[in-house]
Amino acid sequence: MTTAIEFQHVQKDFNGQTVIPDLNLTIDQGELFVLVGTSGSGKTTSLKMINCLEPLTAGKILVNGTDTTTIPVRSLRWQMGYVLQQIALFPTMTVAQNIAVIPEMKGTAKKEINQTIDELLAEVGLDPKEYRDRMPSELSGGEQQRIGILRAIAAQPDIVLMDEPFSALDPISRQQLQDLVLRLHARYHNTIVFVTHDMNEALKLGDRIGVMQHGQLIQVDTPAALAQHPVNDFVRNFFGASRAKNVYDVYVGRVGLIQGYLTEKPSVASGRIQSLDVQATLRTAFTALTDHDYVAVTEENRVVGYLDSQRIVAYLSQHEEVS
Amino acid sequence: MQTLIQTFIDRRGDLLTALWQHLGISLASLVIAMVIAIPLAIWVVRRPRWAEGLLQLTSVLQTIPSLALLGLLIPLVGIGTVPAVIALVIYALLPIFQNTYLGISEIDASIEEAADAFGMSRMRKLFKVELPIALPQIIAGIRTALVLIIGTATLAALIGAGGLGTFIMLGIDRNDTSLLLIGAISSALLAILLSALVRWFQTAKPRHALIVFVGILALLGGGGAYSVYANRVETITIAGKLGSEPEILINMYKQLIEAEDEHVHVTLKPNFGKTTFLFSALKNNQVDIYPEFTGSVLETLGKGNNPAGQTANQTYQLAKQRLAKQEQMTYLKPMQYNNTYALAVTKKFQQEHHLKTISDLTQVESILKPGMTLEFIDRNDGLKGIKKTYGLDVTAKSMEPALRYEAISKGKINLVDAYATDSELRQYHLALLKDNKHFFPTYQGAPLMKTSFANKHPKVVKALNKLAGKISETDMQEMNYEVNVKKQSASTVAHRYLVKHGLLKEGR
Repeated sequence: MTTAIEFQHVQKDFNGQTVIPDLNLTIDQGELFVLVGTSGSGKTTSLKMINCLEPLTAGKILVNGTDTTTIPVRSLRWQMGYVLQQIALFPTMTVAQNIAVIPEMKGTAKKEINQTIDELLAEVGLDPKEYRDRMPSELSGGEQQRIGILRAIAAQPDIVLMDEPFSALDPISRQQLQDLVLRLHARYHNTIVFVTHDMNEALKLGDRIGVMQHGQLIQVDTPAALAQHPVNDFVRNFFGASRAKNVYDVYVGRVGLIQGYLTEKPSVASGRIQSLDVQATLRTAFTALTDHDYVAVTEENRVVGYLDSQRIVAYLSQHEEVS
Repeated sequence: MQTLIQTFIDRRGDLLTALWQHLGISLASLVIAMVIAIPLAIWVVRRPRWAEGLLQLTSVLQTIPSLALLGLLIPLVGIGTVPAVIALVIYALLPIFQNTYLGISEIDASIEEAADAFGMSRMRKLFKVELPIALPQIIAGIRTALVLIIGTATLAALIGAGGLGTFIMLGIDRNDTSLLLIGAISSALLAILLSALVRWFQTAKPRHALIVFVGILALLGGGGAYSVYANRVETITIAGKLGSEPEILINMYKQLIEAEDEHVHVTLKPNFGKTTFLFSALKNNQVDIYPEFTGSVLETLGKGNNPAGQTANQTYQLAKQRLAKQEQMTYLKPMQYNNTYALAVTKKFQQEHHLKTISDLTQVESILKPGMTLEFIDRNDGLKGIKKTYGLDVTAKSMEPALRYEAISKGKINLVDAYATDSELRQYHLALLKDNKHFFPTYQGAPLMKTSFANKHPKVVKALNKLAGKISETDMQEMNYEVNVKKQSASTVAHRYLVKHGLLKEGR
């Protein structure tokens, strides 16, 4: 697998204070990499150093093997999409004009841009006829960030940087947009670096997750490895702290991730097994288990594993404080 | 109301000219202020320390009273349109600069970050993102500046730049409310209209906005080009102070000069300003000739001691010498009338008591009921001096200038102070008393010009000298009366006089 982004001994100082002492990280091409951490951990700064919004104090970052400081900053940025927490659509431009910002600068033909805009809008479930000429202020928060994502990917960049893009949205929009990111990633196979402080989001999205604290990468691993083998208490607690407020709202996917699935298909009649999406909550699972023996946890209609009531109870007793 | 409409109809030509001048000065100032303030504001957006300083500076400039600012500019750039435009630009800077600066610097940091992250160039970011977002605020600043400019531009009349202020000045000077109202209302309407136009620019389709903008530019440019065209022959510019009398005089000058020399075109600038403005205009070659009073030369213009009790001729000679020596100017021979302070009584009162001179007043001292302006009562060269010089013992009631004429015509008072050529003397049938002891300084009018100009234009000098010793006080009162009260044009009145006295042939 080829490397898309590589941090080599990156150091970052703010006003003479070192906030990132020595960062080393390799992100593969086509990977959805999530940087997760509490506020002030240096995750956003790390992200902004990739497209040179923040200059490096020492070390270097390679993008597709080239030192970013040797590439003209504008052409570097043209090959990277960027999605902001504040969404920051240009308020005086229509939806279509916002999406067209980068293709226009790159000199793409008008006709081609218009076609791309219509395709992208349709892709995210917004009717082009209705939405093309709307102003950002006429959209809901979730709709705005859809356009924010389209603006970032309109020029088909190899790399998309997302800085806590959904943290200001309501839970329903957040879920829809997380699904959208997964779908777009599956479709375009681009490299996505996604910053969040929400471990659930990280677990749901990340191919790999990097946990940051005080400017250092503490652990970089797949979601399952991270859940089952946290390297220290910080990671464990951070993981714990991301649990739902109410135990009934815990995702079944999370139980499987932490407690482990039954990997063998239980040898019972298929009528005794209820299929549930990883995003389903324990509330749904308990209801299902009143007249079924097992639940089959599925992700995009593919069975990930099986859970029975013992596993769920074991998870609850070990990982969730019943308040 | 009827007089207002009548004045409006009589003056609509003048009003159009003034409106045009006003519009020209205002728009020129606005455009210059925009060209300075907007790029400057854009430049300082990333330099907060500069921004702070410039905001302070423009605020300070804003607090200078407009009159003082105009006064400060006169020694630097003279008078006329240039200092007026400079002053107006200075006033317009703050609102435009401040609104542009705030409009851009208050843009959400995340939007700036997005523009940077997408690799926009500095210029692209400015024109595609920053200016469109700041536009409503910038337009608001421009509108504030525009209203400010149009209001303040009325003061331009004070320094000879013309405009609607001329009507206001004349209105005040002649105590003519109609003129004053026409000036004030037109300037207010102009402000409202232009402000609406600017707002329309903000919302209009770019193509329409462009067409209208080019149209306005073409109109103004055409006006400018026309004035250049009209001035292509070397013209002589003659200006006059505020009021009907100088306006009548300069019309006489024009008619006499053009009759004498057919190749000369004379431009008149009536109501051009006050004594010192006109004098510096002459010095700076913005004006070639203007009528000045001998007394004013000694009092305000030349340097030196002014001996008391001078005769009219002595005063003129002294003024002429000083101007020639100190300023290299030629002061032609004066006309007959003396527009000085004077004492007046009704003709009836004069005949009843056989009064001819101020000395005669001592005989009727006991029945005198003087009503005079506060200014005159208080001056040493006014009533105080008169009492001493003529041994007169009276106490005067102080009255508003306009009221004292009313009062004497109704018999409430029987002695007033006046200027010797006031049209009211004619209007209320008053007679002047002779200043037999030469107490009042002489104020005789005569054409003033640079010596270099006089040498180059002997025909002009010859033409103007025809007026020497002409026009008595009663003639001047009569002509002022015809212009001020009967609303005849100064040009007609001047022409009638010249023809009647054989200075000009009929039917020009």
